[in-house]
Amino acid sequence: MRSARGAALLRHLILGGFSAVIAMPLLWVLRVSLTDKATAYRLPPEIGEIGLQNYVEVFTAFDFTRWFGNSVTVAVLATLVSLPAAAMMAYAAARFRTGGWPLMLGVLASQMIPPIVLVLPMFLVFTTLVPVPGLVAITIAHVAINLPFMAWIMASFFDADTRMLEEAARCDGATRWQAFTRITVPVAMPGIIAAGLLGFILSWNEFLYALLLGNHSSQTLAVGLASLETHAGVNIAPLAAATLLALAPVLLLLPFLQTYLVKGLSLGALK
Amino acid sequence: MERRDRRFGWMLSAPGLLLLGAVVLFPIVWAGLTSFFDYTLLMPGYDSFVGIGNYRMAAGQGEFLHSAWITLLFVVAVVAIQFVIGMVVALALNDARRGKSVYYLILLCPLLINPVVVGLMWRMILHPTLGIVNWLLGTVGIAPVNWLGAPDMAFWTVVLVDIWHQVSFMVVLLLAGLSALPTEPYEAARCDGATAFQRFWHITLPLMRPVIIVTLLIRMIFAIKTYDIIYIMTRGGPGVATDLISYFIYRRAFVSLDLGQACAMAVMLLVVIAGMTAMLWRAMRQVGE
Amino acid sequence: MRPHILIPFGAFAMGAGAVQAQSINILMEAVPDTTYVQELLPEFEEATGIDVNLEVVNYAEMHTKLVPQLVSNSGSYSAIVVDFYWVGEFYRAGWMQPLDDRIEADGFDTSVYVPAMMDLVGEVEGTTYMLPFYNYAMGLLYRTDLLEDEANRTAWKEEHGSELRPPETWDEYRDQVAFFTKDGIYGVVNQGLRPDPIAMEWSNYLFAHGGTFMDETWHATFNSDEGVAALKAYIANIDQYGPVGAASFSFDEAFNVFSQGQAYSYITYNFFRAAVDDPSQSSVAGAAEIMGVPGPTPGEGGSLNGAWGWAIPRSSPDPDAAWEFLKWVESPEIAKRRALMGGSPTRLDVFDDAEVIAEYPQTEALKELLLGAHNFPTFTYTPQFVEVLGRELSLAVAGEKSAREALDAAAEEFDALAERDGRRG
Repeated sequence: MRSARGAALLRHLILGGFSAVIAMPLLWVLRVSLTDKATAYRLPPEIGEIGLQNYVEVFTAFDFTRWFGNSVTVAVLATLVSLPAAAMMAYAAARFRTGGWPLMLGVLASQMIPPIVLVLPMFLVFTTLVPVPGLVAITIAHVAINLPFMAWIMASFFDADTRMLEEAARCDGATRWQAFTRITVPVAMPGIIAAGLLGFILSWNEFLYALLLGNHSSQTLAVGLASLETHAGVNIAPLAAATLLALAPVLLLLPFLQTYLVKGLSLGALK
Repeated sequence: MERRDRRFGWMLSAPGLLLLGAVVLFPIVWAGLTSFFDYTLLMPGYDSFVGIGNYRMAAGQGEFLHSAWITLLFVVAVVAIQFVIGMVVALALNDARRGKSVYYLILLCPLLINPVVVGLMWRMILHPTLGIVNWLLGTVGIAPVNWLGAPDMAFWTVVLVDIWHQVSFMVVLLLAGLSALPTEPYEAARCDGATAFQRFWHITLPLMRPVIIVTLLIRMIFAIKTYDIIYIMTRGGPGVATDLISYFIYRRAFVSLDLGQACAMAVMLLVVIAGMTAMLWRAMRQVGE
Repeated sequence: MRPHILIPFGAFAMGAGAVQAQSINILMEAVPDTTYVQELLPEFEEATGIDVNLEVVNYAEMHTKLVPQLVSNSGSYSAIVVDFYWVGEFYRAGWMQPLDDRIEADGFDTSVYVPAMMDLVGEVEGTTYMLPFYNYAMGLLYRTDLLEDEANRTAWKEEHGSELRPPETWDEYRDQVAFFTKDGIYGVVNQGLRPDPIAMEWSNYLFAHGGTFMDETWHATFNSDEGVAALKAYIANIDQYGPVGAASFSFDEAFNVFSQGQAYSYITYNFFRAAVDDPSQSSVAGAAEIMGVPGPTPGEGGSLNGAWGWAIPRSSPDPDAAWEFLKWVESPEIAKRRALMGGSPTRLDVFDDAEVIAEYPQTEALKELLLGAHNFPTFTYTPQFVEVLGRELSLAVAGEKSAREALDAAAEEFDALAERDGRRG
């Protein structure tokens, strides 16, 4: 078993090295968040006075609570709406070739245009033709942005050959819908979770639509945090604190992620 | 295929298609239409039809072509490097037993940070005289690196920051692909005494092909649309070294306010990406079947 | 900004009162002057019953945020703030409402503004569209402690035969930049990021070398010998007397180099003067001062002017309430109180106010700076010209074009833009 242990060691070396590269800049952000701008830029680095003043300031001097609440609302809603729609579309494309490749390509093509030229007509739609509150407009826009990517991701997972299992289920009297939800969806769960996660992240970070379609009460984190870069410099210390606070959703997401972090259901498990 | 199957397929697609149609169809048609007019935000209106004038002007513009070229280099660099790193990490993570959640948590963090903040943080970290990176390099006697102030270096710095920010995107998708793989072929191969590399090459890669292609495709589309990081870190400079096409179109639309030309450029970009996508798609279908 | 938790209560209180709650939205960016307005807002809300929502966004994205609002017939902003280089564009597109009738009806006095401010962010072609909000004319930040240092004074006298003092001419300043580049300190730190940081900073160099942007018929003149000399001086400062990487610095990076005590001088917006004295941002508090950028002779300054103005957009949902707000925020009392909080005034009466001067002794120097500052060409395509100029200057700094080639290219595009704007009529 020496080679297995060697492989395990190699794996952890790779993962450890990778995680370190990812984490080091974040540790620097943590340091910045605990001090003031003058100290943060001082070299060689000095510990200085460490305090939570920036974390307090994020809540008192800035609208962090609102930004965070808006971002969570928009990202969760946009993901919840687009995920099932995209999953069904992906299944139809993968199993029944619905619309053929022109449809799937067309769906994705809607996201190949730089958003900057789409945002103006969309703005006009949401302010004059069908006026809706800022958060609703942002959510709808995000659904449209996420859907094509999610559909493509999941289509590649539904390609896995569950056809035999589905047919067996159909013979047992299951409807097409039941075959889809009870056989295909569980098998493709890792892909569905990955698609949902990426949809959430896309929406969480989206800036342009959130900026243009929103107003003062519907500012998301992306828009709010960007406002800390000003004509009079970057408010770097509160920005660092807010950035770390904004990472909280990772912890919220983790229970869902566990499902596929622990190796997903395999075809064999279903048989 | 049975007619009812076909109908079921359309029923499944309907909600998504309706949603997309309602939200993006109008803007896309609008952009396509506008690209044939001399339409500026100073004087919005469809009074002067210019045919393919905007397209011809864009295609004849050295700066626009330069941006297209820089974007191609950028996309190839980030997608290729991120794919290789992403694949290695995903493979290691898929087989890891201990610490999986911890690793996963860490690698998700950059993805959840807004690109604007990523840009600002890296500007601080890479500050030539006040940044921690150059200071650390200095302690081992390396002269300060001019991360963003020299044209070639700035390009690679932007690539590097994008990799830090987005590499986990690859890991997330590829890992999902790996966890969805059936276990039977591996058991059979192990009995036949296949090496790890043989198993990867003959089982993992073929089974993963659809996921890999979609991952590359989506990452490619995102990379082509990169603009926030450029906006924050270099504004396309020094000179025009990092002037990616999305930032170029952005300026044409919202600085020059020349939406006719911006739309023409966007449509040209769409045609190129759609062409590349169709090729990838066909490749996937052909090899897959 | 108020913690959001208070807002529902505020709205409730308003709704409960007899006065119908009215609210106006204003788009701003997070500069110190915005904060001062925010702090004073409750008084306005109490006096008028009008709720003011300040939407604060990233300054670089403000234009992007504004344009769709202005194009649309029904915007959501009652009042806006306008950067000086959008003025020509907004005017040409007809995005701002004329204020003259309101000014006359209410007897609002605009003669108290610094004339250059009214030119820049007040009147366009004889009509008043804006009230000047705050100025960001550029000045020379320099380290007083280095000038006063005995060893420096002796060394300078030996080298130059004169006293070491705040520079009176550009040549004297240039010699100081070279002189102070030693012992881990740079003579100057520049902001070479395209497009606006480099374009704005270089404008000071152009004026300081006796150059101008254009002649009276709107032909570019900045590619003259003075312009080329200014660009060469700029490149020399970045390459020889400044820190590595200044070619990519925005004002934040450059300011940090200065505030960490690594540079003798920095040409920047005058509101950074207050930031230098803030120990949470600066390690050189009390050791720096600001002055107008020295020009070719002691009598001429080289500073670039800059300012924001208040305006009421054409698409304003509530122009009357917006005017109420403008009148209040630009009233002598509020303008003075903003200045006392640290704001950058645009009114002469505020500059000359004894209390303000007592609180901020540098006010007099800032007034001199402002009076001697030069304006950037403002016309419909100013944003585009800034873009072009920034790109060409950056190419020259990156060594991909010679100074003359870069300026000639920018001048050619300037002429084309002026032509397109009908400036040659």
